[in-house]
Amino acid sequence: MADLASSAPAGGAVRAPIGLIFGSLLRADFTVLLRSGRTLLLNIAVPIAILVLIGLRLGNKSNALTQGGPGFVIGLALTYGLMASSLMGYSITIARDRDAGVFQRLRVTPAPTWAIMTSRLLVQIVVDLIMTAIVAVIASIIFGKAFSPGEYALIFCVSILGGAMFLAIAQAVVGLVRSATLVNAIGRILYVVLLLLGLLGSSGILGSTIEAVSDWSPVGAMINLYAGVLNISSWDWTDTSGLIATIGYIIVGSFIGIRWFRWESR
Amino acid sequence: MTDEAATIAAAMLVVDRLVVTYGTRIAVDGVTFHVQRGEIFGLLGPNGAGKTSTLNAIEGMLKPHDGTVRVDGIDIQRSPTDAKARLGVQLQASSFQSELTIEEIVRLYAGLYGLRITKAGIADRIRDVGLGDELGKRFKSISGGQQQRLSLLIAVINRPALLLLDEPTSGLDPQSRRQLWTRIENLRTGGGSILLTTHSMEEAQAVCDRVAIIDHGNLLTVDTPAGLIAKHRDDPRVVKVARGDVTLEDVFIGLTGSEIRG
Repeated sequence: MADLASSAPAGGAVRAPIGLIFGSLLRADFTVLLRSGRTLLLNIAVPIAILVLIGLRLGNKSNALTQGGPGFVIGLALTYGLMASSLMGYSITIARDRDAGVFQRLRVTPAPTWAIMTSRLLVQIVVDLIMTAIVAVIASIIFGKAFSPGEYALIFCVSILGGAMFLAIAQAVVGLVRSATLVNAIGRILYVVLLLLGLLGSSGILGSTIEAVSDWSPVGAMINLYAGVLNISSWDWTDTSGLIATIGYIIVGSFIGIRWFRWESR
Repeated sequence: MTDEAATIAAAMLVVDRLVVTYGTRIAVDGVTFHVQRGEIFGLLGPNGAGKTSTLNAIEGMLKPHDGTVRVDGIDIQRSPTDAKARLGVQLQASSFQSELTIEEIVRLYAGLYGLRITKAGIADRIRDVGLGDELGKRFKSISGGQQQRLSLLIAVINRPALLLLDEPTSGLDPQSRRQLWTRIENLRTGGGSILLTTHSMEEAQAVCDRVAIIDHGNLLTVDTPAGLIAKHRDDPRVVKVARGDVTLEDVFIGLTGSEIRG
């Protein structure tokens, strides 16, 4: 019997290489994510549905949502995908694993805490980028517009920024709220509120004041940023304010999320 | 250097004047003890006595308000990575990613300890704890007892110099419990040290070389089970609760009281 404890204990234990630690964490986190097929599908399928449903009705003057042009629709679809994955998916997973004691188990190993969390964040960013690539390709088919490599690069950059922003907001939520049930509920409420504010506000339906507020909201800022990079020649203050707002949310969310985050829910 | 000082200096674990607080509440109040190389040491106490807080401080999971914890001579607060590499831990309330299979969990934790184990090697280890048929099953789909066995497998995957077990036999059937003690004995034979908490006085009396009784954050007494019985058999509190020959449980209840803790 290859007994676990039959060999002499590793009294002179050596420090595990960080590459092996990080690789092991990444592999496990990706595996977990790929096994959450329904969530993954939702994160990608719904942005595509938005793209198709609204994109095909562009030019319909009676519908405010279709008046923003392809940039608005692409931005909306990508923003939805980023929110679903980075805000909802991340916060719920972190809260659930914290509640179950998964982090507690990982933290008693030599793995540094930054590696445990960075691996989780990196996996989400990769999902965001995959979603962005799929949506961008489908958008170019629907709108008959071939994006240049530069435009693709800018879209990916905005997705990384947007993913980071929603992850920072999610981190702030799990930093301030310990209960997994409450995180789940707050995540969903936040999701609907941010989506409606960004969507209806930036379309101008609710008036210019709400539109201005919306421009500085996470969803409004993202939609404006995507629209801005897809038509870089007409980059204006609204797009710049979107960039400033996004960076601001990243800084504030990260600060709150790191400062008040607890690895245990009890 | 006195004999006692030399013994402590050579110990696998030295907990020195440990103080753990949660806000204004003091959970551990100046606890001092050591665990020798090759020793099985039991930490006993009622619920809320400070056992888990002490273990958490030893594991480096919380920063003590005061005092030090040294694992194999390494301060866990100053060099947590090096100290944790020498530790094996089985936690009472912890879990693994429910979507991962048993095999994937073992591979993950082997990697976290810097071990490169082949697929066959992983399968061998899993078979060794009687989970060979569950190799490809996800963690969420195996029974509580099987989860406990996996948890113990992970705890010793790095062949730790010091194994920390928080109530290791809760949820185990008699066969698994017997196998666990065999493994613990094997680990000790190989020179490893074990610190465990348990509510089973019979187990503590049977397997521990020394036991400490902790209550209200204070260490009440430390000795061999036989030494504790001899030391406290005439204590009126122990005499009052003893039924016939004084046992370790009588000493425990005598020193910590009969009231049920939350």
